[in-house]
Amino acid sequence: MSDFVAAGRITEAKRALDRVRENMRATIRGKDDVIDHVLVCLAAGGHLLLEDLPGVGKTTLAYALARSLDCSFSRIQFTSDLLPGDVTGVAIYDETTREFLFKKGPVFANIVLADEINRTTPKTQSALLEVMDRARVTVDGEPHPVGAPFMVFATQNPVDYEGTFPLPESQMDRFLLRLRMGYPGADDEREILRRAHGGYDAISVNPVITRSEVVALQALVPQVYVEDSVIDFILRIVTATRTEAEFRCGVSVRGSLALRSAAQARALARGRDFVVPEDVSSLVEPVFAHRLAPARPTSDALEERRAVAAALKRLVGAIPAPA
Amino acid sequence: MKAAGKTAVRLRADEFRLLRWGLGAALSVLGAATVLYMEIEAPVLMTLAFAAALATALFPALPARVPRLVHPLAFPVIVMLFAADLWRGGELLPAVVRLGLLLLIYRNLSYRKRRDDLQVILLGLFLIIVAGVLTVSLTFAAHLLVYAAVALALLLVITLGEAAEAAAPSEPVGETPAWARSADWGALRRRLSAVADWRAVGLGAALFAGLVGLSALLFLAIPRFQFENSMFIERLVSRKARSGFAETIQLGQVSEIQLDSSVALSVDVADQARIPAMPYWRMLVLDDYAAGVFRQSPALRGQFRGERSAAFLPGASPRETEETEIWTFYLEAGVSRYLPLTGPFGGLRFRETVTFRHAPGPSLVALRDEPVAMMAYRVEAPGHGPLLLDPDFAARWAAREPGVSRGTPLYTRLALREPDREALRKAAADITGGATLAAPEFARRAGEWLRRRHAYSLSPSIPRGDVDPVVGWLVSDGAGHCELFAGSLVLLARSMGLPARVVTGFRGGSWNAYSNNFTVRNSEAHAWAEIFDESAGGWRRADPLQPDVAAQGAGAAGPAAAMARVDRSWTARLDSLRVFWYRRIVSFDDRAQAEALRTMKEAARDSSRWLVDRLSAWADSARRWLSGPWDARRWGAGVGTLGAAVFIGWILVTGRWRWRAGGVRRPDPVRREAGRWMAALRRAAGGEVSSWRVAADLERLRFGAPATWPDPGRTFTEARRAVRAARRARPVTPRT
Repeated sequence: MSDFVAAGRITEAKRALDRVRENMRATIRGKDDVIDHVLVCLAAGGHLLLEDLPGVGKTTLAYALARSLDCSFSRIQFTSDLLPGDVTGVAIYDETTREFLFKKGPVFANIVLADEINRTTPKTQSALLEVMDRARVTVDGEPHPVGAPFMVFATQNPVDYEGTFPLPESQMDRFLLRLRMGYPGADDEREILRRAHGGYDAISVNPVITRSEVVALQALVPQVYVEDSVIDFILRIVTATRTEAEFRCGVSVRGSLALRSAAQARALARGRDFVVPEDVSSLVEPVFAHRLAPARPTSDALEERRAVAAALKRLVGAIPAPA
Repeated sequence: MKAAGKTAVRLRADEFRLLRWGLGAALSVLGAATVLYMEIEAPVLMTLAFAAALATALFPALPARVPRLVHPLAFPVIVMLFAADLWRGGELLPAVVRLGLLLLIYRNLSYRKRRDDLQVILLGLFLIIVAGVLTVSLTFAAHLLVYAAVALALLLVITLGEAAEAAAPSEPVGETPAWARSADWGALRRRLSAVADWRAVGLGAALFAGLVGLSALLFLAIPRFQFENSMFIERLVSRKARSGFAETIQLGQVSEIQLDSSVALSVDVADQARIPAMPYWRMLVLDDYAAGVFRQSPALRGQFRGERSAAFLPGASPRETEETEIWTFYLEAGVSRYLPLTGPFGGLRFRETVTFRHAPGPSLVALRDEPVAMMAYRVEAPGHGPLLLDPDFAARWAAREPGVSRGTPLYTRLALREPDREALRKAAADITGGATLAAPEFARRAGEWLRRRHAYSLSPSIPRGDVDPVVGWLVSDGAGHCELFAGSLVLLARSMGLPARVVTGFRGGSWNAYSNNFTVRNSEAHAWAEIFDESAGGWRRADPLQPDVAAQGAGAAGPAAAMARVDRSWTARLDSLRVFWYRRIVSFDDRAQAEALRTMKEAARDSSRWLVDRLSAWADSARRWLSGPWDARRWGAGVGTLGAAVFIGWILVTGRWRWRAGGVRRPDPVRREAGRWMAALRRAAGGEVSSWRVAADLERLRFGAPATWPDPGRTFTEARRAVRAARRARPVTPRT
């Protein structure tokens, strides 16, 4: 981190991200904060879990991002009969060459949209685990790297639990951010209504950023400077989640690392080569909320999410930010 | 948020309330404890105050159990009790003290608000000040010191707790407050040790020590004023004599005093060799005896001259022209209103004007009131011989008419029945062998005779029956105490027609090796006789319990005797503190004070000289060491020292050594300064700072990598300008 980052590269990275933002805004109306967080996730090289009711634009958002990037994109619709091989790919026997040939699955892309991820069986869900963690697939002991950059864009519906398999905590921890879309504002919705909607394929945006630019962006994020008092700030927040009685258990070390790199990515998206406390505090909820469970579980998932968010907000408010 | 560092731990409002409650109880106990040494009749109230404070401190829920009716009635009842007390006792101060105790009790039986805590502080302070003025004792100083510390702590807790308590919901009236219900002193102690910052505690202790030191300096420097005279409190209390040194003494009373080993009298003498080997401290002369009771006859009482108020009493014996010997006496309260003296004196000086009566013949001084506090007086040119000249009485004795003793006492009266007189005569004849002896010879033989027949014992065997107790003991062979010996000698002498009288006071004493003064204890109370020696024209001391007649004389203490009475015990150590305190607070003039200041100045100069000498000695030895030949060992030591110095310097400069475990690390000065400017700019601009160009620079200085920093000095200058501009611009910005 002590490496000196040329101011030019920072500006370049900011401009690239600004271009993506503008591009996405043309498609997704009135969701600037969600777009900001998606860009943070992209820059930090993390995976994203989008959670909301059906029909509020989760998939559209994923399409908008994928189309703005000059990257390969694939979509997997998760259903209960999906098998791991359907995701990662299978080795088939080639008669002509008389050997097994690895047939790549849909996960071999730069942006993977895992739609309705909680509808499939845990076996298939965990097939995603290695890919998300190591960005590679191992079949028959042979590793096959997926694309770089690699970003899983999962969506799920938190309300309709009939016939779903909630994601295990180990997999939850692998998502950098969890976002809610929320309903658009009245003006934005009027604008959406006014325009004709022609399905996802009608989303016509031109790519504004190349694959190598994204990789360079992601390499720049760890070099964003984090001052000691900001690290202390992160540490105190993390420690607080571990001692707070309202959570069943605190945030893992992966969680604190995630908060740091998310804050670094946010700083970069704003054209800074250093992290300010606001970067940290504004990202605590999206980074931590899905990693925490309330000590007293309730039957209502939305209620639980609200309780965790409120507790996190109170906790961050009680810790003085470095000034 | 334990691990978030100590700084984040704050006491909660409930804990502040409990702490306040406990400190208030401690102050109540301290205040009530003053009654222990004030000798004001309030044992029941004091016990109640102790009990109330301790019980409610241990069980803070108790005051809620007090019936609600008590509270509106409490003050009228207390006022009524005070009025009744005043009317019954007629003395203001004891009544006020009892009123204070009542208020303290009530304050402990009800939950205190902040102003009630202040009232407790003032009540306790009042009690302590009254006790201090009344006793002028060392205990008072210690008591006040402890009290001041606790009161300061309480005030601190009140101040610190104000914010927390204001934020907390106020307690509903009439219910047990939550803090009292869940009071747990152990938990509070643990919380306190978690919250306590040793630096804050150290700073507090240092401040308190500074306060005490400053007070001590002021105490030394301010002119003395007469405590008792400026405060009339002393006059408001009448006290009963604790001791038996009164005008009437029953057989055994002096021996009772001997059971008490506390200090009765301390004497400051320049040289302990000036005190006789066996000093006699005369206090009272008793010339009348009847049926086991010694008393002052009205005639002897008539010898006291009229009451006078003065600070100086010229004595009978001539004052020496050259250096006059001065003995300073510190007489403890409760000994007697008769001042102990060694004999005639050149002059008697008090610290202030006192009211007294003086009888020059028997050389006695009686104060009007028994002193309630330590009484200090100076005796100039004290006489301490075995012979007390009394020319008046000598003339009267020479001109006496046989059988007549009207008006003035002739010290020959024998108020005995005939069988007792007969027994006395027989015993006298046994002593003299029929010869007529002069007073000294008779005293010697009678003493020998008494010692031969009787052993000394504090539990005498006095024959019962129809016979006079002293005469009965005299003719028996049982053991007896000093009063019996002295009374017997006086009766024997009188039966031979020799004027004789009993004298009470103290005999002996010890030299305190720590404070260098002479200490006489109550256990050294004594009674002896004085027989008139016609040929010498004065009264000769005759102590039947002192076989060595020479020792009764004026003989100065030899080195052996002086060594023998040196006291180095632990009690002596404690007593030396008391004398030290007396010497500091008692002053007859400004000399002692000037002396003290001079001593301090010299001590300061000496210690600074010592320090300079020591430093230059070190410097010399270091120079010698450096200029010596350098071998491997020297090189090793030198390099080692240098390395240690560099290491310590590195630690100091880089601050790598964190004294605090956990907590917020302080950012470096530039970052701190940038943070301050950022906050100032945010305040001045009303929150939104993104329009200021300098804000980005400040942010970079605060959180950015040092390699990318802009010039801090220029940035701060710009920031100052921006803050000013923002302040100017702000009032005109329309409020939204």
